[in-house]
Amino acid sequence: MTPVIALSLFGIINLFLGFTFKRQSLQVVTLLFIICSMALTAMDWNHEYLWFGDMMKTNNLSINFSLIIQLAGLLVVAFSNGFGKDEVYTQPAEYYAILLFSLVGALLMVSFQNLIMLFVGLEILSVAMYVLTGSDKRNLRSNEAALKYFLMGSFATGFLLFGIALVYGSTRSLYISGILYNLSHTAPESLPSFLYAGIILMGIGLLFKISAAPFHFWTPDVYEGAPTIFTMFMSTVVKTAGFAAIYHILDVTFGGFQKNWIITVYFITIITLILGNISAAYQQSAKRMLAFSSISHAGYMLLTVCANQPSTSSNILYYSLAYTLATAVSFAVLMVVAEYQTGRTEKPENFDALNGLAKNNPSLAFAFTVALLSLAGIPLTAGFWGKFFVFTDMFNKNLTYPIIIAVLMSAVGIYYYFKGIISVYFNSGEIEKIETSFLFKIALWSACIGTLVLGIYPTLLKSIF
Amino acid sequence: MSSILFIPLLPLIGFLINGLSFPKLSNPVAGIIGTIPPLAAFALSLQLFLQFDGNTQIVPLLDWISVGELSIPIAFQIDQLSLLMLLIITGVGTLIHVYSSAYMSHDEGFGKFFAFLNLFVFFMLLLVMGSGFVTLFIGWEGVGLCSYLLIGFWNKKNSYGDAARKAFIMNRIGDLGFLIGIFLLFQEFGTATYQEVFEAIKAGNGSNLGLIAFCLFIGAMGKSAQIPLFTWLPDAMAGPTPVSALIHAATMVTAGIYMVIRANVLFEMSPEVLHFVGWIGLATALLGAAIGLFQNDIKKVLAYSTVSQLGYMFMGLGASAYTASFFHVMTHAFFKALLFLGAGSVIHAMSDEQDIRKMGGLKSQLPITYITFLLGTIAIAGIPPFAGFFSKDEILAHLYHHDIVMWALAIVGSALTSFYMFRVFIVTFHGDFRGTQHQADHLHESPIAMTLPLIVLAVLSVIGGIINLPAFVGGNEFLAHWLNPILPEGSHEALEVHFASLEFLAPLAAAFIPAIFAIQLYGSKKAVPAADAEISGIQKIIYDKFYIDEAYNFLFVKPIQFLSQFFYSFIDFLIIDLLVESTGKFVKSSSNELRKLQSGNIGFYIFMMVAAIAIILAWTLKSWIF
Amino acid sequence: MIESFGYVLAFLVAGTGFMALVLTLARFIRPNRPNDEKLSTYESGEAPVGNANVRFNPRFYLYALLFVLFEIELILLFPWAVVFGDKQLAAASENWKHFALFEMLIFIGILGLGLAYAWVKGYLEWEKPNIQAEDFKSPVPPKAYEKFN
Repeated sequence: MTPVIALSLFGIINLFLGFTFKRQSLQVVTLLFIICSMALTAMDWNHEYLWFGDMMKTNNLSINFSLIIQLAGLLVVAFSNGFGKDEVYTQPAEYYAILLFSLVGALLMVSFQNLIMLFVGLEILSVAMYVLTGSDKRNLRSNEAALKYFLMGSFATGFLLFGIALVYGSTRSLYISGILYNLSHTAPESLPSFLYAGIILMGIGLLFKISAAPFHFWTPDVYEGAPTIFTMFMSTVVKTAGFAAIYHILDVTFGGFQKNWIITVYFITIITLILGNISAAYQQSAKRMLAFSSISHAGYMLLTVCANQPSTSSNILYYSLAYTLATAVSFAVLMVVAEYQTGRTEKPENFDALNGLAKNNPSLAFAFTVALLSLAGIPLTAGFWGKFFVFTDMFNKNLTYPIIIAVLMSAVGIYYYFKGIISVYFNSGEIEKIETSFLFKIALWSACIGTLVLGIYPTLLKSIF
Repeated sequence: MSSILFIPLLPLIGFLINGLSFPKLSNPVAGIIGTIPPLAAFALSLQLFLQFDGNTQIVPLLDWISVGELSIPIAFQIDQLSLLMLLIITGVGTLIHVYSSAYMSHDEGFGKFFAFLNLFVFFMLLLVMGSGFVTLFIGWEGVGLCSYLLIGFWNKKNSYGDAARKAFIMNRIGDLGFLIGIFLLFQEFGTATYQEVFEAIKAGNGSNLGLIAFCLFIGAMGKSAQIPLFTWLPDAMAGPTPVSALIHAATMVTAGIYMVIRANVLFEMSPEVLHFVGWIGLATALLGAAIGLFQNDIKKVLAYSTVSQLGYMFMGLGASAYTASFFHVMTHAFFKALLFLGAGSVIHAMSDEQDIRKMGGLKSQLPITYITFLLGTIAIAGIPPFAGFFSKDEILAHLYHHDIVMWALAIVGSALTSFYMFRVFIVTFHGDFRGTQHQADHLHESPIAMTLPLIVLAVLSVIGGIINLPAFVGGNEFLAHWLNPILPEGSHEALEVHFASLEFLAPLAAAFIPAIFAIQLYGSKKAVPAADAEISGIQKIIYDKFYIDEAYNFLFVKPIQFLSQFFYSFIDFLIIDLLVESTGKFVKSSSNELRKLQSGNIGFYIFMMVAAIAIILAWTLKSWIF
Repeated sequence: MIESFGYVLAFLVAGTGFMALVLTLARFIRPNRPNDEKLSTYESGEAPVGNANVRFNPRFYLYALLFVLFEIELILLFPWAVVFGDKQLAAASENWKHFALFEMLIFIGILGLGLAYAWVKGYLEWEKPNIQAEDFKSPVPPKAYEKFN
């Protein structure tokens, strides 16, 4: 409970600090705020309680999700470099404040006990994201992306709300506990058909947020158009929060109706895997490739949602963390290189712009490589175990065909991730030493080491999750 | 409990500090940072040793991997065997660190060297402290890596790099066997923790024990340089001399023996494998000693001597004389480290000259080195009452009761050892100086940091025998009693040896007579080993190491090269490439088609979304609609 | 249940009746001099005819947003006031009044902070278009225009 209040308060404070503080000190202050709220989150460990009129629930699962989300926020803020040089134009205080507000939304999404709170959390997160996507006001692509995201996002939200309404209509409750109670006290035959439609529509509204196919169309355009730092935020925080909500809705609340939604989610998963991976293979832009990679990773995580084993929640957590660390690092490196390349090459976010990075920036190149290896799921990185746990779940459920597809698709994945490694190490290019801030370096290395440590010693966190 | 964790942690910290801050730290600081961890670890080990109450202590560290039914914990096991190994590793390790701080002082990679040494100590400690085969294997691979790094330490020279690679590849062959052994253990018992595995074996569970023991022994063959995987060890002398002393004489190469002793329960259940171990050991001991006879590189002689001594240890294991073998591991650690460090001191004084034909008469310039080297030579030759005598004699005594043929051959090997060691000693230190004038001008005794470890090790080489002094000369057989709890029943029983028997006199003769012969030949007659071109006949065959390297090259390397050429040009090029590339092309072209879906037209996007939702809803509600 | 909708009907009838009354009354009292300007639809000062894709001045939106914000606040205040004044609830718990009051104060406070922020940032200023003085020198003296106007 406290982190939600704290983060809202911090956001408001941050807004007003913008009048007096410089960019760099705002960044530090925001970091401190997030660390503070992480500490508050962690203090609830092993305390399970309901709050806010029983509409929210804190337990270890929600705390783990909250911590991962805030960790992602922490990384984004540390990588942000104070949002460019132009102080008057970029309004760092507002962006940091919006980041904090959207974290509040994400936290609501991981601990809701009432469908209204899910909607409120999702909207707080989404509206903040629409704004951040368009924050590069002078860039037409950024504006276009924001509008696209907003249009499609509100469309999906409509479906979510419609789904909630249908579920409410058939179960006479918005509380998860009330829904479960009513469902268990009603004969399955007498449940109205629109309950199933409601479940599916709610699922669709959430699947849109995690960019599962065929609701993924916004992803590449929005990811590419948004400023890279917010793309990083979008692909980590929104995805983690979205998966927490999907798990809560599909597996926890409507796990009993699995036979009604499982076929649909299967097909969505498989289409997501195929579309995400295969489309990524041809991309010239590293940023767009990462967008498709984000789609494909949503597919892998959906696999474990389909399996719905006791270990599913811990697998989602592990995968989210591995994915968050790796994605944050790869976007961060891409961002500094693109900033350096702006004006030097036509498309500063293409693979070509990374050529020869290793020569003068060995640490950036190494971090980028570790991140890509983790995304590709190469052993000794966290990504490998993430995939491994997911596949184990599938095996336990005897779902052989999806696994075959998933494994084939991760082989395709290796192709496009290694394109990045090849351009960094093997292609020749002239990139001088890129100066990065101290915080940037710390964040880069911690994420990198985290990826490796989790890859070597997965049980470290598996025992907590 | 916490102090146990610190033992391996300290060297790791030392490695991190030195490794990360190289080359920013100045040499003295790096030396101190590098030397303190093994010293502190030694102190902690000593404390553990003194407080040890006879009960095996397991310190769980972490649950490394637990997936499904497979669970691999990482834990440390402190018992009689690992305590002694700890003392050897940290004790000898500390001395060698001290020695290196002077020996390497002019090297530009000083800090890096210390970082690697610390890393080695860390992995070696992990190897002996692990409570299961997996932890052992992590340490096993880690020391292999450090060995590789340190052999190729002076990597500007290609041949050194080749030597490092050779060591690594030969070890990999052994490691493969070892790994298969561990997998088999998992298959049989579902665990690789010592206690659980040995309990199961004692309870009579598990089949395939012979195969498992054999696979594990293959690993030991690689790491401990036994036939046929021994040729890397002499080449490993390319590394700096302290490395040879620490890794390739005192600690790492004895890991195989440690492993067999640790798994004695398993090996005892498969007598045929033990038999095999014994004969491999014997063959190695003889071959190593024979090649050592006519080598002229001071470090090569010591390397072959190490190979041969390791053979003795395996012979002892083959006769189930675990205590005797371990006794020899300990004394060997003392005197072989001493000899290597002495050789290093000589090489240091001779401005990096290693050929004994160019030395001679060094005793006056290097008095401390001279005396300590002499003590080491006497010890390794097996002359009483030095340490080597007791340990080797104990192995021989067990062999005598085990298999008289092996015993006889071992005596021959012992005689060879005595001969070549005294040969090296006399040629190096006695006679006239045969080096260049430049070398003569620079001859000097090594600094205190180098001579001090020599003196300490010399003392240990002299008195080391008391650790397991046999009862019939009035000793209390400390080691035998100490190791008693972890060894099978009866393997440690004291052997009654009569002073006047053949059993007692033959080893003595094998030690004394060749020594006197060598002193006669090279000392009194002042004979100098012939130059390379003049060597002929059997001597040439021996000098060229029986052409084993060439034979390996012909038997294995060439056919593999041919095969790989075939695979490359036919199978790889024609079949695999075609398959792989067409798959890749298919993916790429389908990617190009799919890409067009992403048109950027938001109307199309929303249309697709709505179409998908319509289909999904229709599918979900089909039973109500239709 | 259905009787409750009687109020709604009453509101409907009263509202329609009031509007009809006022407009009819005005029809008799006011002078009647229509022209084109007066008869056109009110559209925030813009010409109501022409292409629908005309660009509206974004300054209107800022005001519209602020208006909607406080409108919603106002709407929330009504049900809150009803609950706040509920005697049963107040009797049930001693802290009820304080709790409800502070809750609303926080809500208004946050909105007030937002308004303050916008104010300080200068978003409430009506930015006047900066009209450049033309440097065209007319041969007609400025005084001559005043005579005509």
